[in-house]
Amino acid sequence: MSQNKVPITRLNKFFSEEDFNLDINMGEEWLHGDMNFTLVLYKVDKQRTNNDDVYGETIEDGIQFLAPVEFRGYVQIESPSNIDYGSSKLSQMEPGNLKIGVYQTHLDELNIDIEYGDYIGYYETEDRVRYYSVVNDGRVFTDNKHTYGGYKRFYRSIIASPVNDNEFKGL
Amino acid sequence: MALPKKIKKHLPLVPDKTGKERRQELLDLVTDDGTFLPKGVLHADLDKGILDFVKQRLELVVDGKKVPTIEKIITNQNWAQFTTTWNFNDLDKNIKLPFVTTVRMPEVKYGTLQGGLANIPERKHFYYYTVPTWDGQRKGADVYKIPQPIPVDIGYNIKLFCNRMRELNEFNKIFMQTFTSKQAYINVKGHYLPVIMDDVSDESSKELEKRKYYIANYKITLKGLLIDEEEFQVSPAITRAVTMFEVNTKNRKRKIEYKPPRPDNFDLNITFVSGVTQISEVFNYTADFKIERTDNVSSYSVYINNNYVGDNLETIQITTKDTLKLIVIKQDNTQTSTIYVTSYLL
Repeated sequence: MSQNKVPITRLNKFFSEEDFNLDINMGEEWLHGDMNFTLVLYKVDKQRTNNDDVYGETIEDGIQFLAPVEFRGYVQIESPSNIDYGSSKLSQMEPGNLKIGVYQTHLDELNIDIEYGDYIGYYETEDRVRYYSVVNDGRVFTDNKHTYGGYKRFYRSIIASPVNDNEFKGL
Repeated sequence: MALPKKIKKHLPLVPDKTGKERRQELLDLVTDDGTFLPKGVLHADLDKGILDFVKQRLELVVDGKKVPTIEKIITNQNWAQFTTTWNFNDLDKNIKLPFVTTVRMPEVKYGTLQGGLANIPERKHFYYYTVPTWDGQRKGADVYKIPQPIPVDIGYNIKLFCNRMRELNEFNKIFMQTFTSKQAYINVKGHYLPVIMDDVSDESSKELEKRKYYIANYKITLKGLLIDEEEFQVSPAITRAVTMFEVNTKNRKRKIEYKPPRPDNFDLNITFVSGVTQISEVFNYTADFKIERTDNVSSYSVYINNNYVGDNLETIQITTKDTLKLIVIKQDNTQTSTIYVTSYLL
């Protein structure tokens, strides 16, 4: 990536860096201050995680993670689906995926990045937390949807799928 | 570290039976702890046998932990109830991975245990056993008869649900070791029934944005049989025999000549010496006395058992044990009188 910074001057007749920052600040105020959806990021410590030599699978309780970091984002949880285990006709209530919209500036302030395979904990109640595994870290967010009126990208959409507690169960 | 194969972990105190004794032992298993009849084997018994087989022979232990096996055949009704009461639930009361379950194919086909042939029509009953009985007075026996067992083929899917490849590997190893001889056997109420492995397939959930897990599906077929106790027959055997002969009534034998001759009459002379006019005699046979003639007898009176019968009778009928008394009036009392009699035996 180029180390040189090039000023973004598009739309500058109607929309400037100050406008952009103002709107982002207002959005963060709404999301972090009013909504306050709090999540916990468990970044996998790839150095310390005890992996299988052949398959790279962790042994039971083998996933090691860095210090958990609390962050805020816009949370949507998809509806659970009543599905079968394969073709077995063994039905189960499969919880829906977790979709998170998170400001990139927020991640930058916390000095964290959310990557594929990381775990996210979301407290559904005071004593019930569900863990998700990131299956889409939204690292490419240069599309129109994730830019502010075509000016600059500003948030990421992250999708995480629920995991069993024999895979990950937090602290 | 595994023990070397030459080291025996235990020594059997009772030697295993072989040959004819072993075959008898297998036969005894069929009627063990019951009547002289084999115990009935129906669908539920076969399913229970498979569940025991999966639990005992296909037990999966990974990382020192035993993978739970659902000890019920999964049916449409029980799964929803079962999952909520299962000991290994996750946050959502779904069954926690890994686990092993057994799904039975609902359809039960006519079996191939006997070559797939319908060889005996009309459910004919065959002799199975004769059991001695005693009703307190006489010995008897009951004959036990059963029809030919009905062969059935039942398909099962043994499924391993897990998260890790090494669990798949371990289960596959156990399965292959069990079925390396093409077939394994389950014991259902003393009957050893073969189970063969048909197919192995993968039904894993691999979609990118969904929960991921492996499902290894092992399809097996039980070559079972149905024995319905309602069809057994117990009937009393023969306790008494009546033997009848039919013979030709026509007498073809020659008349036997008796030697010495056996006359049916003989002469009997009754003598009254001088001075005697009465005589009594007890006869031990039945006869008719014919008076032929008399000598120096004017008349005579006949008494039988002291009952007057008549005078000067020409025939006197004597029955066994009769006492015959004759009283004569002589012409000359100084002389001997005689009555000449021919006795005809009856």
